[in-house]
Amino acid sequence: MIRQISVFVENQPGSMMNVTSVLNEAHVNIRAISTFDTPEFGIMRLVVDDPVQAKESLTKEGFVTRISEVIGAELKDEKGNLNQMLSILADGEINVNYIYSFVIREGKAPVMVFSTDDYEKAENVLRAANVKLVEEDEL
Amino acid sequence: MIWAKEETLPRDEIEAIQYAKLKGTVRYIYDRVKPYRDKMDAAKVKPEDIRSLDDLRRLPFTYKADFRDNYPDGLFAVDKKEIVRYHASSGTTGKPTVVGYTRNDLDMWLNNVARIACMGGASAEDVAQISFGYGTFTGALGLHGGLEKVGASVIPMSSGNTNKQIMFLQDMGVTLLVATPSYALHLGEEIRNRGIDPQKDLKLHIGLFGGEGMTEPMRDEMHKVWGEQFFCTQNYGMSELCGPGVAGECSELCGMHINEDWFIPEVIDPETEEVLPPGELGELVVTCLGKEALPLVRYRTGDLTRLMYEPCKCGRTTCRMENISGRADDMLVIRGVNVFPTQIEEVLLKIEEIGPHYEILVERRNRLDVMTITVELIDDRLLDSYGKLSELEARIKKALKAQLGLATQIRLVAPNSLKRFEGKAKRVTDLRKDGL
Repeated sequence: MIRQISVFVENQPGSMMNVTSVLNEAHVNIRAISTFDTPEFGIMRLVVDDPVQAKESLTKEGFVTRISEVIGAELKDEKGNLNQMLSILADGEINVNYIYSFVIREGKAPVMVFSTDDYEKAENVLRAANVKLVEEDEL
Repeated sequence: MIWAKEETLPRDEIEAIQYAKLKGTVRYIYDRVKPYRDKMDAAKVKPEDIRSLDDLRRLPFTYKADFRDNYPDGLFAVDKKEIVRYHASSGTTGKPTVVGYTRNDLDMWLNNVARIACMGGASAEDVAQISFGYGTFTGALGLHGGLEKVGASVIPMSSGNTNKQIMFLQDMGVTLLVATPSYALHLGEEIRNRGIDPQKDLKLHIGLFGGEGMTEPMRDEMHKVWGEQFFCTQNYGMSELCGPGVAGECSELCGMHINEDWFIPEVIDPETEEVLPPGELGELVVTCLGKEALPLVRYRTGDLTRLMYEPCKCGRTTCRMENISGRADDMLVIRGVNVFPTQIEEVLLKIEEIGPHYEILVERRNRLDVMTITVELIDDRLLDSYGKLSELEARIKKALKAQLGLATQIRLVAPNSLKRFEGKAKRVTDLRKDGL
């Protein structure tokens, strides 16, 4: 499992930069990032190298921030691999709430990050299908 | 047409009626309504101390808070079985302000509305569409009953449903529209957008407006939208006093004639509470005369106006009040509905996921009032999914709708992004300029 940081942001110029600049000041390294196109406010989700430090510095600056667990699955950079992973989850009737991927990782394989309501089952079906799940220390 | 001879009496005769009724009213409240008796005792005034009209100012004021403190009917002077109608309007907090009418009260009320309708040009020839919301508010049923007394044909349309409004305006040959001025402008523009020219294609030529003030720029706009033939007046009232029917504009458009044989107006300095001479701007205080169910003495309306006693060219001799120029308190009028920031605060404080600070922004979009309430999100659990955030937004809107009877917009912002105040908080921004 990977810990992800969720930050409440308003949909206005500079609001994401306000988050990244706090993390920059705190020397936190961002591994993955995701936002969605929502009308007035949104949730910015990040995977960082030090989630505890990230939450602490963001909270200190007045951001509503939450740490939650997500699954990171390492895929081979080949055609059809994402489809295969999603098929495994679909066959196991596991709902994916949202999914995003890592930024470039210096030659390492791509990692998909996703949230679900049933982590145990999701991990089990993916492991059974030989999908590699990554842990925080491997990032 | 002038509906009642009382509207044209010489000043001394008006005052003689007022004095006679005032003495009766003061005796009536002292004998029948404990909160009044207590206040009068505390102020050391007895009914027999009223020996002239000027003695009115010896009586204690009545406040909107008195309705809350005596909710629902502690200010009533008659037994429940005498009541034939209840209405209610916004209170400053959770409970509404409830008012009641005996059969005589209803008759008096609707006759006063008939006077106002006549001031605005209504007659038995008219087909009147009432586009106020029906329900516990006094506006719709008040104008409805008053126009029936005049003999007009009344269509109880209620608010909203623009398509149906337009269909009736066209098909029924409606000549008179009752609405809030902002809704009338909205409706007029919708009609024009559909390629209908109100001046050529409709018979509408009278507007009786209330629920919110109409400024002169709004009246000019009304002519642009509905045509030059459209004659529109505004009228004044509030449910505590009876509803509409307290005062209305006549064809001279020089202020609203007060039905002085039923209401004594005073204008006071809201700070010092001193009675101001005619012509000075201050808070309107009204004493109702001869009301049976809910007598009301020196009621602080919160509305700022001036009184003018010169007889009018229309033939009426009754005192006129200038168009309302503001409020002595922080009450807002949103789409004709009175809203107190305290009502909003009460709802927001019960929602745990948001902080105690808030801001209210009022604007006009498409001629209609839009109220946006900004609140700070404090609960990080909602960040699990966007759905939880939208659910919170929907829940706040629903709670406000239940409390205010109005749809609002909610804006969620990060904690500490709203301004903090050390002294008196200024949470309301009203961007409606001249009501446009």
